[in-house]
Amino acid sequence: MNRHVMGVDFGSTTAKTVILDLSGNIVAHSVAHMGAVSGDGVKQSMKDALEEAGLAQSDMGRVVATGYGRRMLDEADKNYTEITCHARGAVAMVPGARLVIDIGGQDSKVISVDSNGLVAQFAMNDRCAAGTGKFLEVLARAVEIGLEELGDTALQAREKLKISSMCATFAETEVISLLAEGHPKTDVLGAVHAAIAMRTLGLVGRVGKKGPVVMTGGVAKNPAAVHYIQQALEMPLILPKTPQIAGALGAALIGLDDYRAENKHLFISEHEDMAREEQMAADKACIPGCRGVPELAVDPFEKQPPKGKLKSLLGTIQNHI
Amino acid sequence: MERQEIMRRFAEAAGNPLSYARAWKERTGRKVIGSFPMNFPGELAHAAGALPMILQETDDPITAGHGVLFPFYCGFTRSMVDQAMRGEFDVLDAIMFGDHCVQLLGAADGIRMHLTKTRVIFFQLISSMCDPWTQGRSEESFAKLRAELEDFIGEAVADDAMHASIRLFNRNRALIRKLYDMRKKGTAPLGAIEMQHVVKSSMIMDKAEHTDLLQQLVAQFEGAKATPNRAVRLHLSGHFCQAPKPELLEMIEECGVVVVGDDLYHGFRYISTDVPEEGPPVSALARWYMDRNTGVPCPTRVQNNVDWDAYLLDAIRDERADGMIVLMAKFCEPHMYYYPEVKEAFEKAGVPHLLIETEHEGMALESLKTRVETFVEIVKRREAA
Repeated sequence: MNRHVMGVDFGSTTAKTVILDLSGNIVAHSVAHMGAVSGDGVKQSMKDALEEAGLAQSDMGRVVATGYGRRMLDEADKNYTEITCHARGAVAMVPGARLVIDIGGQDSKVISVDSNGLVAQFAMNDRCAAGTGKFLEVLARAVEIGLEELGDTALQAREKLKISSMCATFAETEVISLLAEGHPKTDVLGAVHAAIAMRTLGLVGRVGKKGPVVMTGGVAKNPAAVHYIQQALEMPLILPKTPQIAGALGAALIGLDDYRAENKHLFISEHEDMAREEQMAADKACIPGCRGVPELAVDPFEKQPPKGKLKSLLGTIQNHI
Repeated sequence: MERQEIMRRFAEAAGNPLSYARAWKERTGRKVIGSFPMNFPGELAHAAGALPMILQETDDPITAGHGVLFPFYCGFTRSMVDQAMRGEFDVLDAIMFGDHCVQLLGAADGIRMHLTKTRVIFFQLISSMCDPWTQGRSEESFAKLRAELEDFIGEAVADDAMHASIRLFNRNRALIRKLYDMRKKGTAPLGAIEMQHVVKSSMIMDKAEHTDLLQQLVAQFEGAKATPNRAVRLHLSGHFCQAPKPELLEMIEECGVVVVGDDLYHGFRYISTDVPEEGPPVSALARWYMDRNTGVPCPTRVQNNVDWDAYLLDAIRDERADGMIVLMAKFCEPHMYYYPEVKEAFEKAGVPHLLIETEHEGMALESLKTRVETFVEIVKRREAA
């Protein structure tokens, strides 16, 4: 039996891989940037994770894929949607979370989770890139600023501006107009992030606002996005240390569930394992005739009167014999 | 006739209704009367010797129609006007409009203004269904419709002819209901697209021809054993006027779903209720109109003792469905207004459902597929939990 499982999030702009041991501990994870749903990118991500773990693909008992390219991964035994996997991964990272906001490269989703950690409802952008990483990417280009500096620059905004269009292309036109009017980049970028926050608030409204709220996906690493979304929600966002790998982690955990269910006869929990060890030790120390319950054992060569309830039980058995 | 051949003929009529109408007209030399959904009694036009057909939305992009209706009209009404503007309705000798919603009224006006040579027969139906005067007012409406039709045809429509048409239409509906029952039990493994073709072609084809084909189709499933199917059983709801696009239905089934029931207009809603075969035919049609709203409730009608949401929950129990997908045509106001009640009732009952808004202009199917797959995963995991 293999001792590890793998989850792969084959996203639109990045590929993420998580390897778990059979107790559910993260052994390795990796994030690889790539072009649109690139096979090379996802292979690199899997290779990096395997190298970090010192394992080979053949050591994986189960591989589960998620994300846009989930159906394209030959190595995957099963695939699940990013909504199911992000919810599972986010709840594993932040136990007790009831709302997951995930903003990725090409989609944004809000998932409400019930008390059992199962997806109750979800809403996602279904028509355009409004409120996604792609929206930020387009607008970063419009203000000629690197994606990594975007958040910190936007946090310096002083004046409240408004970008009313949710379409990335039209919003780009608005951004250019605002810059042409002489507004500083910081204020314009503040407005861009405020627009994303309002879009996210709309999705939250569709599934119902509740907490604790955890934010995952690449955009969770953007401090301005987090700031404006918190402001719009009027609730704090809990940020996992590695928000990008939530989907891959969820996929790996679902894979682990399946693998455990399929091989349950081979699996014993730590508790069961310890109990078995103790039993074996007791068995070794036992006298002949012992059936694994030493205190009930009777040495046929040593006649000792039984005590209490055991006495009456044995008496009954003897009478029947 | 083989099942495949029967289904091919249904699909052909469903795929190109106006071509079917042209061929029928050429063959018979009789009149074709188009109508809007939802409560037009085809029996009347049939009894008058015409081919009644319910006009269908097409996949064509809206072009000329943009000049008549605003983009915030539903896809069905915009497609109707667009087809009229492009001359597609030239095969129709008359069009019958009802006043089921404001958008249908707008489309009726748009078409009336442009098809000046086509006879337009407009009829109004009382929407309050449980008043003491509902039956009487409905009878008045259908009597007026009959009179207008007789004026258009140029001769009276005999009661006997109407009774014969009612019997034929009832037979047709009963056969489709039988197919629905067989599909529910698993003995007629008809996919969602096939079932749509069966119903949609019934809205278009000559009723006798369609009924004959239906009888042959039903006979092929008689005595069949239920086919085991491990897919998630779902009910499809919504779409009061237009047929959901086949690619959407195909995508839903690809996600591991078997559709076991529906209340779509191009589905069970159309064939749910029969017209009484006894008594004056106009009274019978009025009764049918009123019974239809208890057969499958419609959000455009008002009836205090009938709830669409309660009906849907009952249907889901009866069909042993695991959940429901709601197909809401974009800008369909009656559906948009009623949906919150359905949502609340389903959440209260703990029955999973997914809302999909559909558009004439097409949909991002990949994104929708993710949503349907997630819904299927939710249903499966909830059952396993």
